[in-house]
Amino acid sequence: MQSVVVTVTSGKGGVGKTTCSANIGCALALLQKKVVVIDGDIGLRNLDIVMGLENRIVYDSVDYIEGRCRLRQALIRDKRAPDLYVMPTAQTRDKTAVSAEQMVAMCDELRKDYEYIIIDSPAGIEQGFHTCLAPADRVLIVTNPEVSSVRDADRVIGLVEAQEKGPAQILINRLMAARVKKQEMLSMDDIVDVLSTELIGAVPEDEAILMSTNRGTPVALNGRGPAATAFHEIALRLTGEEVPLRVQQPVSIFHRLFGKA
Amino acid sequence: MISIKGVRNGLVVICDEEPWHSQLSELQQKLDSNARFFRGGRIALDVKTLDLSPEDILRAQSLFRQYDVQLWAVLTQNQATSTRVEMLNMANSLQTEPEDESGASASSHSSTQTPGEPAMSAANDETEAHAASSVTTEGILVRKRVRSGQVLKHPGHIAVVGDVNPGAQIIAGGDIIVWGKLQGLAHAGAFGDTSAVICALDLKPSLIRIADAARSVFPAPQRERARRPEMAVLEQEEITIVPWQDR
Repeated sequence: MQSVVVTVTSGKGGVGKTTCSANIGCALALLQKKVVVIDGDIGLRNLDIVMGLENRIVYDSVDYIEGRCRLRQALIRDKRAPDLYVMPTAQTRDKTAVSAEQMVAMCDELRKDYEYIIIDSPAGIEQGFHTCLAPADRVLIVTNPEVSSVRDADRVIGLVEAQEKGPAQILINRLMAARVKKQEMLSMDDIVDVLSTELIGAVPEDEAILMSTNRGTPVALNGRGPAATAFHEIALRLTGEEVPLRVQQPVSIFHRLFGKA
Repeated sequence: MISIKGVRNGLVVICDEEPWHSQLSELQQKLDSNARFFRGGRIALDVKTLDLSPEDILRAQSLFRQYDVQLWAVLTQNQATSTRVEMLNMANSLQTEPEDESGASASSHSSTQTPGEPAMSAANDETEAHAASSVTTEGILVRKRVRSGQVLKHPGHIAVVGDVNPGAQIIAGGDIIVWGKLQGLAHAGAFGDTSAVICALDLKPSLIRIADAARSVFPAPQRERARRPEMAVLEQEEITIVPWQDR
């Protein structure tokens, strides 16, 4: 089976790696792809919460790697999409529990059955990041439109190039078109200019994300709203389709009620 | 008089025939005055015909270590010294790299340097770069964007075709020329050459240093408007920025 390992990383924390991993995974699964999303943040697991699958964890990736269960037992099937699985990680361990070689071996095993393997990397550029980078065929670097996360993204792109991984692509998260217009926020062009790396998409700031994270239902599953649309477009681009880049405008309640933009 | 030479696989410190302890103190002075340049690099030591005991070699190694420099090879024409170097698990020629150390240095450098990047090395085998204040004529050309966290070091001149991003560092014994936007840190004349210059199509570094002088380049309003090639030079111990066409 043609299989792609996509590592989602950022350098800086809190930019939305887990949200993006979960939503891209869901969007790909809704495109009838066989998808597994791996939580790479050992000891600080969040992916299961964002996906709303926390109480279904019996075994995790560390159990599989240390031989306490089979691969199938560690995977959680998400019934909301045809072929979507989540590989949770251990909360009681730390980044030293899984080596880069073990991560590569686990991904090679998953490659037999899945078309897309999305790895949600931890923040930082330490061991956990390198473990998640090791099996990557493609790397998505999530950044927010502000200087410090762009600086960290630049650092990470340098590291990805040095490891000869990639191609790295940028995903701009939490873009606010109105604030860009007022020049209060970096624009897509500003970011691409500094990073000189291909852009895979820009996800607008969307209130729906907060709600969906708390509820454990990624926005891409119900398919509405500007962020959901952006994630579906990013998923399409990952599959190789040409989708023109555009920024989804958030629709205010006023516009929703009166139907005029 | 100790001299420093850049070769393909790094820097070589060339000793003379003086007694070892006086050489070490001279070396310490050199390391002291150019600590920023040497930091994080690796170095080979050419001890000529000196007959050195293992303790002598280890003392040099620990001196380098204080400045975060890795001594990876000791070159010698003295057979006894050569055998002792081998016993200490160091290389005694520039061709062979010690297996265990190359792995370690690769990993410690991967965070700051891209493999294959000519950092800390010369384009030519015989680039002279005296640690005193002589001007070097040889340089390297780097055709890539230098990103945050990456460090480009060279004992001669450095020319970059591409942007130097904020958070990157360019440290040259000679001049620095950037065909692109220079942000981040640039240090020209790192061995004390006060005639060194820093030029860029768009000169916006966070900090520039020429020899021992330093200046932060804040985007003054008039500089912001004029996006033109500029050059930083040292005039009466102060770094001045002048438009390119005036020179």
